[in-house]
Amino acid sequence: MGISLEKVSYVYEQGTAMQTSALQEVDLEIPDNQFIGLIGHTGSGKSTLVQLLNGLLRPTSGRVLYNGKDIHADGFDKKALRANVGLVFQYPEHQLFEVDVLSDVMYGPRNLGLDEAACKKRAKEALANVGIKEKYFKTSPFDLSGGQKRRAAIAGVLAMNPRILILDEPTAGLDPRGRDEILGLISEMKKNLSMTIILVSHSMDDVARYVERIVVMGHGRKIYDDTPKNVFRHYRELENLGLSAPQITYIMNTLRESGMDVETDALTVEEAAAEIMRKLK
Amino acid sequence: MIKISKLIHDYIQRDEEGNPSGTIRAIDDVSLDVSPGQFIAILGHNGSGKSTLAKHLNALLFPTEGAVWVNGMDSRDQSLLWDIRQTAGMVFQNPDNQIIGQVVEEDVGFGPENMGVPTEKIWQRVEESLKTVGMYEYRKKSPNRLSGGQKQRVSIAGVIAMHPKCIIMDEPTAMLDPSGRADVIKAARKLNLEENITIILITHYMEEAIQADRVFVMDNGKIAMQGSPREVFSQVERMQELHLDVPQVTLLGHLLRKKGLEIPEGILTREELSDVLKKLKKGNRQ
Repeated sequence: MGISLEKVSYVYEQGTAMQTSALQEVDLEIPDNQFIGLIGHTGSGKSTLVQLLNGLLRPTSGRVLYNGKDIHADGFDKKALRANVGLVFQYPEHQLFEVDVLSDVMYGPRNLGLDEAACKKRAKEALANVGIKEKYFKTSPFDLSGGQKRRAAIAGVLAMNPRILILDEPTAGLDPRGRDEILGLISEMKKNLSMTIILVSHSMDDVARYVERIVVMGHGRKIYDDTPKNVFRHYRELENLGLSAPQITYIMNTLRESGMDVETDALTVEEAAAEIMRKLK
Repeated sequence: MIKISKLIHDYIQRDEEGNPSGTIRAIDDVSLDVSPGQFIAILGHNGSGKSTLAKHLNALLFPTEGAVWVNGMDSRDQSLLWDIRQTAGMVFQNPDNQIIGQVVEEDVGFGPENMGVPTEKIWQRVEESLKTVGMYEYRKKSPNRLSGGQKQRVSIAGVIAMHPKCIIMDEPTAMLDPSGRADVIKAARKLNLEENITIILITHYMEEAIQADRVFVMDNGKIAMQGSPREVFSQVERMQELHLDVPQVTLLGHLLRKKGLEIPEGILTREELSDVLKKLKKGNRQ
Protein backbone atom coordinates (compact mmCIF):
# COMPACT_ATOMS: atom_id res chain seq x y z
CA MET A 1 0.00 0.00 0.00
CA GLY A 2 1.07 3.61 -0.39
CA ILE A 3 1.84 5.60 -3.49
CA SER A 4 3.51 4.33 -6.63
CA LEU A 5 4.67 6.27 -9.63
CA GLU A 6 4.87 4.36 -12.90
CA LYS A 7 7.01 5.95 -15.62
CA VAL A 8 5.77 9.40 -14.70
CA SER A 9 6.84 12.32 -16.88
CA TYR A 10 5.79 15.91 -16.50
CA VAL A 11 6.18 18.72 -19.00
CA TYR A 12 5.40 22.32 -18.08
CA GLU A 13 3.62 24.47 -20.67
CA GLN A 14 3.50 21.69 -23.20
CA GLY A 15 3.06 22.82 -26.78
CA THR A 16 4.32 26.36 -26.14
CA ALA A 17 7.71 27.96 -26.73
CA MET A 18 8.32 27.72 -22.98
CA GLN A 19 7.91 23.93 -22.91
CA THR A 20 10.15 22.48 -20.17
CA SER A 21 10.45 18.87 -19.22
CA ALA A 22 10.51 18.69 -15.41
CA LEU A 23 10.31 14.93 -14.84
CA GLN A 24 11.25 12.06 -17.09
CA GLU A 25 9.96 8.52 -16.62
CA VAL A 26 10.22 8.34 -12.87
CA ASP A 27 9.33 5.08 -11.11
CA LEU A 28 8.96 5.37 -7.37
CA GLU A 29 7.41 3.35 -4.55
CA ILE A 30 6.36 5.14 -1.36
CA PRO A 31 5.32 2.44 1.14
CA ASP A 32 3.58 2.93 4.47
CA ASN A 33 5.57 3.83 7.54
CA GLN A 34 8.91 4.88 6.09
CA PHE A 35 11.11 7.94 6.71
CA ILE A 36 12.31 9.13 3.31
CA GLY A 37 14.62 12.02 2.41
CA LEU A 38 14.07 13.64 -0.99
CA ILE A 39 17.02 15.67 -2.20
CA GLY A 40 17.93 17.41 -5.42
CA HIS A 41 19.35 20.68 -6.71
CA THR A 42 17.09 23.63 -7.52
CA GLY A 43 15.21 22.66 -10.66
CA SER A 44 15.88 18.92 -10.24
CA GLY A 45 12.18 18.13 -10.34
CA LYS A 46 11.62 17.43 -6.65
CA SER A 47 8.89 20.05 -6.19
CA THR A 48 7.12 18.75 -9.29
CA LEU A 49 7.41 15.25 -7.89
CA VAL A 50 5.88 16.32 -4.58
CA GLN A 51 2.93 17.98 -6.32
CA LEU A 52 2.34 14.83 -8.38
CA LEU A 53 2.25 12.72 -5.22
CA ASN A 54 -0.86 14.39 -3.86
CA GLY A 55 -2.55 15.03 -7.17
CA LEU A 56 -1.93 18.77 -7.43
CA LEU A 57 -0.38 18.07 -10.83
CA ARG A 58 -1.46 15.49 -13.38
CA PRO A 59 1.34 13.55 -15.10
CA THR A 60 1.88 14.29 -18.80
CA SER A 61 2.45 10.55 -19.17
CA GLY A 62 2.62 7.62 -16.77
CA ARG A 63 0.42 6.86 -13.77
CA VAL A 64 0.26 7.79 -10.10
CA LEU A 65 -1.35 5.06 -8.01
CA TYR A 66 -2.62 5.39 -4.46
CA ASN A 67 -3.22 2.01 -2.80
CA GLY A 68 -3.18 0.53 -6.28
CA LYS A 69 -5.74 2.89 -7.83
CA ASP A 70 -4.97 5.49 -10.50
CA ILE A 71 -5.58 8.84 -8.81
CA HIS A 72 -6.56 10.51 -12.09
CA ALA A 73 -9.06 7.83 -13.12
CA ASP A 74 -12.75 8.78 -13.23
CA GLY A 75 -14.47 8.44 -9.89
CA PHE A 76 -11.28 8.56 -7.80
CA ASP A 77 -11.86 10.51 -4.59
CA LYS A 78 -9.20 13.22 -4.76
CA LYS A 79 -10.42 14.90 -1.64
CA ALA A 80 -9.69 11.76 0.35
CA LEU A 81 -6.30 11.54 -1.34
CA ARG A 82 -5.38 15.05 -0.24
CA ALA A 83 -6.44 14.28 3.30
CA ASN A 84 -4.26 11.17 3.23
CA VAL A 85 -1.25 12.82 1.64
CA GLY A 86 -0.50 15.96 3.62
CA LEU A 87 1.82 18.60 2.23
CA VAL A 88 3.60 21.13 4.42
CA PHE A 89 5.00 23.87 2.20
CA GLN A 90 8.16 25.89 2.80
CA TYR A 91 7.70 28.57 5.45
CA PRO A 92 4.27 27.12 6.37
CA GLU A 93 3.83 29.78 9.06
CA HIS A 94 3.06 32.25 6.26
CA GLN A 95 -0.21 30.38 5.82
CA LEU A 96 -1.47 30.85 9.37
CA PHE A 97 -4.50 33.10 9.31
CA GLU A 98 -7.12 32.33 11.97
CA VAL A 99 -7.89 34.31 15.15
CA ASP A 100 -6.38 31.73 17.46
CA VAL A 101 -4.14 28.68 17.25
CA LEU A 102 -6.88 26.10 17.83
CA SER A 103 -9.17 27.54 15.13
CA ASP A 104 -6.28 27.63 12.71
CA VAL A 105 -5.56 23.94 13.17
CA MET A 106 -9.32 23.14 12.96
CA TYR A 107 -9.55 24.70 9.50
CA GLY A 108 -8.36 21.54 7.70
CA PRO A 109 -10.66 19.02 9.40
CA ARG A 110 -13.56 21.45 8.96
CA ASN A 111 -12.96 21.38 5.23
CA LEU A 112 -13.17 17.61 5.37
CA GLY A 113 -16.74 18.06 6.57
CA LEU A 114 -16.23 16.80 10.13
CA ASP A 115 -18.48 18.12 12.89
CA GLU A 116 -17.24 20.73 15.36
CA ALA A 117 -16.46 18.29 18.18
CA ALA A 118 -14.49 15.97 15.91
CA CYS A 119 -12.55 18.92 14.45
CA LYS A 120 -11.67 20.13 17.92
CA LYS A 121 -10.56 16.68 19.00
CA ARG A 122 -8.30 16.27 15.96
CA ALA A 123 -6.86 19.77 16.36
CA LYS A 124 -6.02 19.14 20.01
CA GLU A 125 -4.34 15.84 19.18
CA ALA A 126 -2.35 17.45 16.38
CA LEU A 127 -1.21 20.29 18.63
CA ALA A 128 -0.20 17.80 21.31
CA ASN A 129 1.80 15.89 18.68
CA VAL A 130 3.78 18.99 17.73
CA GLY A 131 4.33 19.91 21.36
CA ILE A 132 2.20 23.05 21.62
CA LYS A 133 0.75 23.38 25.09
CA GLU A 134 -2.91 24.02 25.83
CA LYS A 135 -2.22 27.47 27.23
CA TYR A 136 -1.43 28.66 23.69
CA PHE A 137 -4.63 27.33 22.11
CA LYS A 138 -6.46 30.67 22.39
CA THR A 139 -3.40 32.77 21.49
CA SER A 140 -3.26 34.46 18.11
CA PRO A 141 -0.95 32.39 15.91
CA PHE A 142 0.90 35.61 15.08
CA ASP A 143 1.96 36.04 18.72
CA LEU A 144 3.82 32.72 18.79
CA SER A 145 7.60 32.54 18.41
CA GLY A 146 9.05 31.56 15.03
CA GLY A 147 9.57 27.92 15.95
CA GLN A 148 6.12 27.63 17.55
CA LYS A 149 4.46 29.18 14.49
CA ARG A 150 6.07 26.59 12.30
CA ARG A 151 4.89 23.80 14.61
CA ALA A 152 1.35 25.17 14.66
CA ALA A 153 1.37 25.23 10.86
CA ILE A 154 2.54 21.61 10.76
CA ALA A 155 -0.26 20.73 13.19
CA GLY A 156 -2.71 22.22 10.69
CA VAL A 157 -1.74 19.55 8.18
CA LEU A 158 -1.41 16.82 10.81
CA ALA A 159 -5.03 17.40 11.88
CA MET A 160 -6.15 16.01 8.53
CA ASN A 161 -4.76 12.65 9.78
CA PRO A 162 -2.58 12.03 6.74
CA ARG A 163 -0.95 8.63 6.22
CA ILE A 164 1.84 10.29 4.28
CA LEU A 165 3.25 13.64 5.30
CA ILE A 166 5.48 15.57 2.91
CA LEU A 167 7.49 18.42 4.41
CA ASP A 168 9.23 20.84 2.04
CA GLU A 169 12.35 22.26 3.75
CA PRO A 170 10.80 22.32 7.22
CA THR A 171 13.98 23.72 8.80
CA ALA A 172 14.63 26.60 6.36
CA GLY A 173 15.56 29.77 8.21
CA LEU A 174 15.74 28.15 11.64
CA ASP A 175 18.77 28.35 13.94
CA PRO A 176 20.59 25.10 14.84
CA ARG A 177 18.52 24.49 17.99
CA GLY A 178 15.29 25.16 16.08
CA ARG A 179 16.45 22.75 13.36
CA ASP A 180 17.13 20.00 15.90
CA GLU A 181 13.78 20.58 17.59
CA ILE A 182 11.72 20.39 14.41
CA LEU A 183 13.59 17.34 13.11
CA GLY A 184 13.33 15.63 16.50
CA LEU A 185 9.62 16.36 16.47
CA ILE A 186 9.16 14.94 12.97
CA SER A 187 11.08 11.84 13.99
CA GLU A 188 8.81 11.39 17.04
CA MET A 189 5.70 11.86 14.91
CA LYS A 190 6.93 9.19 12.54
CA LYS A 191 7.38 6.78 15.47
CA ASN A 192 4.18 7.58 17.36
CA LEU A 193 1.81 7.86 14.41
CA SER A 194 3.57 5.25 12.22
CA MET A 195 3.11 7.39 9.14
CA THR A 196 5.33 7.82 6.10
CA ILE A 197 7.35 11.02 6.17
CA ILE A 198 8.96 12.53 3.10
CA LEU A 199 11.49 15.16 4.08
CA VAL A 200 12.47 17.45 1.21
CA SER A 201 15.73 19.06 2.22
CA HIS A 202 18.86 20.86 1.09
CA SER A 203 20.69 19.94 4.27
CA MET A 204 22.59 16.70 3.79
CA ASP A 205 23.57 16.75 7.48
CA ASP A 206 19.90 16.65 8.51
CA VAL A 207 18.95 14.00 6.00
CA ALA A 208 21.87 11.77 6.99
CA ARG A 209 20.91 11.92 10.63
CA TYR A 210 17.23 11.08 10.43
CA VAL A 211 15.97 9.24 7.36
CA GLU A 212 16.12 5.53 6.47
CA ARG A 213 16.00 5.98 2.69
CA ILE A 214 17.13 8.73 0.33
CA VAL A 215 15.76 9.51 -3.10
CA VAL A 216 18.06 11.76 -5.13
CA MET A 217 16.60 13.69 -8.06
CA GLY A 218 18.76 15.26 -10.75
CA HIS A 219 17.72 16.93 -14.00
CA GLY A 220 14.23 15.46 -13.84
CA ARG A 221 15.32 11.89 -13.24
CA LYS A 222 15.63 9.65 -10.22
CA ILE A 223 19.39 9.18 -9.80
CA TYR A 224 19.70 7.23 -6.55
CA ASP A 225 17.18 5.51 -4.30
CA ASP A 226 18.93 3.74 -1.44
CA THR A 227 19.97 3.88 2.22
CA PRO A 228 21.83 7.03 3.33
CA LYS A 229 25.10 5.13 3.69
CA ASN A 230 24.91 3.83 0.14
CA VAL A 231 23.81 7.15 -1.35
CA PHE A 232 26.56 9.19 0.30
CA ARG A 233 29.22 6.79 -1.00
CA HIS A 234 28.56 8.59 -4.29
CA TYR A 235 29.52 11.96 -2.88
CA ARG A 236 31.50 13.02 -5.95
CA GLU A 237 28.57 12.23 -8.21
CA LEU A 238 26.30 14.15 -5.84
CA GLU A 239 28.57 17.19 -6.19
CA ASN A 240 28.23 17.00 -9.95
CA LEU A 241 24.47 17.17 -9.40
CA GLY A 242 24.80 20.44 -7.43
CA LEU A 243 24.50 18.59 -4.13
CA SER A 244 26.99 17.51 -1.53
CA ALA A 245 27.46 14.89 1.13
CA PRO A 246 27.15 15.50 4.87
CA GLN A 247 30.17 17.29 6.37
CA ILE A 248 31.01 14.09 8.22
CA THR A 249 31.40 12.14 4.95
CA TYR A 250 34.03 14.63 3.78
CA ILE A 251 35.84 14.45 7.09
CA MET A 252 36.04 10.65 7.03
CA ASN A 253 37.14 10.61 3.39
CA THR A 254 39.92 13.12 4.13
CA LEU A 255 41.11 10.93 7.00
CA ARG A 256 41.09 7.88 4.80
CA GLU A 257 42.94 9.64 1.97
CA SER A 258 45.60 10.75 4.43
CA GLY A 259 46.29 7.13 5.28
CA MET A 260 44.03 6.40 8.23
CA ASP A 261 42.23 3.12 7.67
CA VAL A 262 38.72 4.26 8.70
CA GLU A 263 35.37 3.28 7.20
CA THR A 264 33.95 6.39 5.54
CA ASP A 265 30.25 5.66 5.90
CA ALA A 266 29.59 7.25 9.30
CA LEU A 267 26.46 9.40 9.18
CA THR A 268 26.76 11.25 12.47
CA VAL A 269 29.59 12.82 14.44
CA GLU A 270 29.09 10.19 17.17
CA GLU A 271 29.49 7.31 14.70
CA ALA A 272 32.60 8.98 13.27
CA ALA A 273 34.14 9.41 16.73
CA ALA A 274 33.50 5.74 17.55
CA GLU A 275 35.09 4.64 14.27
CA ILE A 276 38.21 6.75 14.84
CA MET A 277 38.60 5.44 18.40
CA ARG A 278 38.28 1.89 17.11
CA LYS A 279 41.13 2.46 14.63
CA LEU A 280 43.41 4.20 17.10
CA LYS A 281 43.26 1.42 19.67
CA MET B 1 34.57 51.09 8.41
CA ILE B 2 31.76 50.55 10.87
CA LYS B 3 31.65 51.76 14.41
CA ILE B 4 28.80 50.95 16.74
CA SER B 5 28.76 52.62 20.09
CA LYS B 6 26.45 51.59 22.93
CA LEU B 7 23.64 50.83 20.53
CA ILE B 8 20.18 50.24 21.95
CA HIS B 9 17.16 49.50 19.81
CA ASP B 10 13.62 49.20 21.14
CA TYR B 11 10.73 47.99 19.00
CA ILE B 12 7.44 49.60 19.95
CA GLN B 13 4.59 47.17 20.57
CA ARG B 14 1.11 48.36 19.75
CA ASP B 15 -2.29 47.21 21.00
CA GLU B 16 -5.32 46.51 18.81
CA GLU B 17 -6.10 50.21 18.35
CA GLY B 18 -2.52 50.87 17.29
CA ASN B 19 -1.57 52.72 20.45
CA PRO B 20 1.89 52.07 21.83
CA SER B 21 1.58 49.49 24.63
CA GLY B 22 5.19 48.73 25.43
CA THR B 23 8.63 48.15 24.02
CA ILE B 24 10.84 45.17 23.28
CA ARG B 25 14.59 45.70 23.54
CA ALA B 26 16.07 44.00 20.49
CA ILE B 27 19.57 45.44 20.81
CA ASP B 28 20.92 46.06 24.27
CA ASP B 29 24.09 48.12 24.59
CA VAL B 30 26.14 46.76 21.71
CA SER B 31 29.49 48.28 20.78
CA LEU B 32 31.71 46.98 18.01
CA ASP B 33 34.24 48.09 15.43
CA VAL B 34 34.80 46.70 11.98
CA SER B 35 37.96 47.74 10.11
CA PRO B 36 38.00 48.24 6.34
CA GLY B 37 38.52 44.99 4.44
CA GLN B 38 37.53 42.70 7.31
CA PHE B 39 35.33 39.64 6.86
CA ILE B 40 33.00 39.46 9.84
CA ALA B 41 30.51 36.73 10.70
CA ILE B 42 27.60 37.33 13.03
CA LEU B 43 25.94 34.27 14.57
CA GLY B 44 22.99 34.01 16.90
CA HIS B 45 19.74 32.10 17.33
CA ASN B 46 16.42 33.30 15.90
CA GLY B 47 15.39 36.40 17.79
CA SER B 48 18.88 37.13 19.15
CA GLY B 49 18.94 40.56 17.50
CA LYS B 50 21.37 39.96 14.64
CA SER B 51 19.06 41.07 11.83
CA THR B 52 18.06 44.16 13.80
CA LEU B 53 21.74 44.94 14.18
CA ALA B 54 22.35 44.42 10.46
CA LYS B 55 19.55 46.81 9.53
CA HIS B 56 21.28 49.56 11.50
CA LEU B 57 24.36 49.22 9.32
CA ASN B 58 22.70 50.60 6.23
CA ALA B 59 20.25 52.91 7.94
CA LEU B 60 17.10 50.81 7.54
CA LEU B 61 16.71 51.15 11.31
CA PHE B 62 17.93 53.92 13.58
CA PRO B 63 19.31 53.76 17.12
CA THR B 64 16.95 54.29 20.04
CA GLU B 65 20.10 55.17 21.97
CA GLY B 66 23.78 55.11 21.05
CA ALA B 67 25.09 55.60 17.55
CA VAL B 68 26.23 53.88 14.37
CA TRP B 69 28.85 55.31 12.04
CA VAL B 70 29.32 53.91 8.56
CA ASN B 71 32.59 55.05 7.05
CA GLY B 72 32.47 57.99 9.45
CA MET B 73 28.86 58.92 8.63
CA ASP B 74 26.48 59.09 11.58
CA SER B 75 23.25 57.25 10.70
CA ARG B 76 21.26 59.67 12.86
CA ASP B 77 21.98 62.41 10.31
CA GLN B 78 19.08 62.11 7.84
CA SER B 79 20.97 64.02 5.14
CA LEU B 80 23.53 61.20 4.95
CA LEU B 81 20.94 58.44 4.46
CA TRP B 82 21.59 57.81 0.77
CA ASP B 83 25.34 58.04 1.13
CA ILE B 84 25.21 55.44 3.89
CA ARG B 85 23.07 53.06 1.85
CA GLN B 86 25.42 53.44 -1.08
CA THR B 87 28.44 52.74 1.11
CA ALA B 88 26.91 49.75 2.88
CA GLY B 89 24.86 47.54 0.56
CA MET B 90 22.57 44.84 1.82
CA VAL B 91 21.73 41.35 0.54
CA PHE B 92 18.71 39.62 2.07
CA GLN B 93 17.65 36.03 2.56
CA ASN B 94 15.11 35.61 -0.22
CA PRO B 95 16.46 36.40 -3.70
CA ASP B 96 12.92 36.50 -5.11
CA ASN B 97 12.12 39.58 -3.04
CA GLN B 98 15.15 41.48 -4.28
CA ILE B 99 15.07 41.03 -8.02
CA ILE B 100 12.87 43.40 -9.96
CA GLY B 101 14.25 43.51 -13.51
CA GLN B 102 12.89 41.43 -16.41
CA VAL B 103 16.42 40.76 -17.62
CA VAL B 104 19.44 40.08 -15.43
CA GLU B 105 21.53 43.03 -16.70
CA GLU B 106 18.64 45.48 -16.23
CA ASP B 107 18.20 44.32 -12.67
CA VAL B 108 21.86 44.88 -11.89
CA GLY B 109 21.76 48.31 -13.54
CA PHE B 110 18.84 49.46 -11.42
CA GLY B 111 20.96 50.58 -8.46
CA PRO B 112 23.51 52.70 -10.33
CA GLU B 113 20.72 54.15 -12.48
CA ASN B 114 18.93 55.31 -9.34
CA MET B 115 22.16 56.91 -8.18
CA GLY B 116 22.30 58.95 -11.37
CA VAL B 117 25.35 57.23 -12.88
CA PRO B 118 25.69 58.13 -16.62
CA THR B 119 24.37 55.44 -18.97
CA GLU B 120 27.64 54.17 -20.45
CA LYS B 121 29.15 53.97 -16.96
CA ILE B 122 26.11 51.94 -15.83
CA TRP B 123 26.76 49.31 -18.50
CA GLN B 124 30.40 49.19 -17.56
CA ARG B 125 29.48 48.63 -13.91
CA VAL B 126 26.89 46.00 -14.80
CA GLU B 127 29.46 44.09 -16.82
CA GLU B 128 32.08 44.25 -14.07
CA SER B 129 29.65 43.24 -11.34
CA LEU B 130 28.23 40.29 -13.23
CA LYS B 131 31.74 39.07 -14.07
CA THR B 132 32.76 39.32 -10.41
CA VAL B 133 29.98 36.96 -9.29
CA GLY B 134 30.36 34.69 -12.32
CA MET B 135 26.98 35.52 -13.85
CA TYR B 136 28.04 37.49 -16.95
CA GLU B 137 26.98 34.78 -19.39
CA TYR B 138 23.45 34.99 -17.97
CA ARG B 139 23.12 38.76 -18.51
CA LYS B 140 20.39 38.48 -21.17
CA LYS B 141 18.36 35.87 -19.26
CA SER B 142 15.18 36.37 -17.30
CA PRO B 143 15.88 36.14 -13.54
CA ASN B 144 12.85 33.82 -13.23
CA ARG B 145 14.74 31.14 -15.09
CA LEU B 146 17.70 31.12 -12.71
CA SER B 147 18.33 28.85 -9.73
CA GLY B 148 18.23 30.26 -6.21
CA GLY B 149 22.02 30.49 -5.96
CA GLN B 150 22.22 32.24 -9.33
CA LYS B 151 19.49 34.70 -8.34
CA GLN B 152 21.28 35.44 -5.11
CA ARG B 153 24.50 36.13 -7.02
CA VAL B 154 22.54 38.52 -9.27
CA SER B 155 21.31 40.29 -6.11
CA ILE B 156 24.92 40.58 -4.97
CA ALA B 157 25.95 41.94 -8.39
CA GLY B 158 23.17 44.53 -8.03
CA VAL B 159 24.74 45.63 -4.77
CA ILE B 160 28.32 45.62 -6.12
CA ALA B 161 27.25 47.78 -9.08
CA MET B 162 26.65 50.57 -6.58
CA HIS B 163 30.34 50.34 -5.62
CA PRO B 164 29.81 49.88 -1.90
CA LYS B 165 32.71 49.74 0.54
CA CYS B 166 30.85 47.25 2.66
CA ILE B 167 28.23 44.55 2.02
CA ILE B 168 25.96 43.17 4.71
CA MET B 169 24.55 39.74 3.94
CA ASP B 170 21.63 38.65 6.08
CA GLU B 171 21.39 34.85 5.78
CA PRO B 172 22.07 34.94 2.03
CA THR B 173 22.27 31.14 1.77
CA ALA B 174 19.30 30.10 3.90
CA MET B 175 17.12 29.17 0.92
CA LEU B 176 19.77 27.69 -1.36
CA ASP B 177 20.89 24.20 -2.29
CA PRO B 178 24.47 23.12 -1.43
CA SER B 179 26.09 24.27 -4.66
CA GLY B 180 24.16 27.56 -4.54
CA ARG B 181 25.41 28.09 -1.00
CA ALA B 182 29.00 27.33 -1.97
CA ASP B 183 28.83 29.75 -4.94
CA VAL B 184 27.47 32.60 -2.84
CA ILE B 185 30.08 32.14 -0.11
CA LYS B 186 32.81 31.93 -2.75
CA ALA B 187 31.57 35.19 -4.30
CA ALA B 188 31.60 36.88 -0.88
CA ARG B 189 35.15 35.64 -0.20
CA LYS B 190 36.31 36.90 -3.58
CA LEU B 191 34.83 40.37 -3.06
CA ASN B 192 36.59 40.54 0.26
CA LEU B 193 40.01 39.35 -0.93
CA GLU B 194 40.17 40.88 -4.40
CA GLU B 195 38.07 44.03 -4.12
CA ASN B 196 38.83 44.63 -0.45
CA ILE B 197 35.12 45.07 0.28
CA THR B 198 34.24 44.70 3.95
CA ILE B 199 31.84 41.77 4.37
CA ILE B 200 29.44 41.26 7.25
CA LEU B 201 27.88 37.82 6.96
CA ILE B 202 24.96 36.81 9.14
CA THR B 203 24.38 33.08 9.01
CA HIS B 204 22.97 29.99 10.70
CA TYR B 205 25.52 27.75 9.01
CA MET B 206 28.48 27.55 11.36
CA GLU B 207 30.82 26.18 8.69
CA GLU B 208 30.36 29.41 6.69
CA ALA B 209 31.91 31.37 9.55
CA ILE B 210 35.24 29.53 9.79
CA GLN B 211 36.92 31.74 7.19
CA ALA B 212 35.89 34.98 8.86
CA ASP B 213 38.49 37.27 10.41
CA ARG B 214 36.30 37.72 13.41
CA VAL B 215 33.09 36.14 14.72
CA PHE B 216 30.47 37.83 16.88
CA VAL B 217 27.80 35.79 18.63
CA MET B 218 24.60 37.58 19.60
CA ASP B 219 22.24 36.53 22.36
CA ASN B 220 19.34 38.41 23.82
CA GLY B 221 20.34 41.64 22.06
CA LYS B 222 23.88 41.58 23.42
CA ILE B 223 27.21 40.34 22.11
CA ALA B 224 27.67 37.10 24.02
CA MET B 225 30.96 35.98 22.49
CA GLN B 226 33.52 37.38 20.09
CA GLY B 227 36.89 36.40 18.75
CA SER B 228 38.58 34.51 15.95
CA PRO B 229 36.61 31.52 14.60
CA ARG B 230 38.98 29.25 16.55
CA GLU B 231 38.43 31.10 19.80
CA VAL B 232 34.65 31.05 19.40
CA PHE B 233 34.24 27.49 18.14
CA SER B 234 36.58 26.12 20.85
CA GLN B 235 33.73 26.70 23.26
CA VAL B 236 31.40 23.92 22.12
CA GLU B 237 29.23 23.80 25.24
CA ARG B 238 28.86 27.58 25.40
CA MET B 239 27.76 27.67 21.75
CA GLN B 240 25.18 24.95 22.41
CA GLU B 241 23.85 26.95 25.37
CA LEU B 242 23.32 29.80 22.92
CA HIS B 243 21.19 27.48 20.71
CA LEU B 244 23.99 27.28 18.19
CA ASP B 245 26.38 24.68 16.88
CA VAL B 246 29.98 24.38 15.88
CA PRO B 247 31.19 23.01 12.53
CA GLN B 248 30.98 19.19 12.53
CA VAL B 249 34.75 18.77 12.30
CA THR B 250 35.10 20.92 15.42
CA LEU B 251 32.46 18.84 17.19
CA LEU B 252 34.17 15.61 16.14
CA GLY B 253 37.47 16.88 17.57
CA HIS B 254 35.68 17.82 20.76
CA LEU B 255 34.10 14.35 21.11
CA LEU B 256 37.44 12.62 20.50
CA ARG B 257 39.03 14.84 23.12
CA LYS B 258 36.33 13.82 25.57
CA LYS B 259 37.09 10.19 24.80
CA GLY B 260 40.64 10.83 25.93
CA LEU B 261 42.57 11.71 22.76
CA GLU B 262 45.00 14.60 22.91
CA ILE B 263 43.23 16.85 20.45
CA PRO B 264 43.09 20.61 20.93
CA GLU B 265 39.70 22.35 21.00
CA GLY B 266 38.76 24.51 18.03
CA ILE B 267 39.79 22.30 15.11
CA LEU B 268 38.37 24.13 12.09
CA THR B 269 39.18 22.05 9.02
CA ARG B 270 39.32 18.38 8.19
CA GLU B 271 42.96 18.72 7.14
CA GLU B 272 43.81 19.99 10.62
CA LEU B 273 42.04 17.03 12.20
CA SER B 274 43.81 14.63 9.90
CA ASP B 275 47.23 16.11 10.82
CA VAL B 276 46.53 15.91 14.53
CA LEU B 277 45.36 12.30 14.27
CA LYS B 278 48.40 11.33 12.21
CA LYS B 279 50.71 12.68 14.89
CA LEU B 280 48.75 10.78 17.55
CA LYS B 281 49.04 7.57 15.60
CA LYS B 282 52.79 7.95 15.25
CA GLY B 283 53.02 8.63 18.97
CA ASN B 284 51.10 5.40 19.67
CA ARG B 285 53.51 3.29 17.63
CA GLN B 286 56.65 4.53 19.32
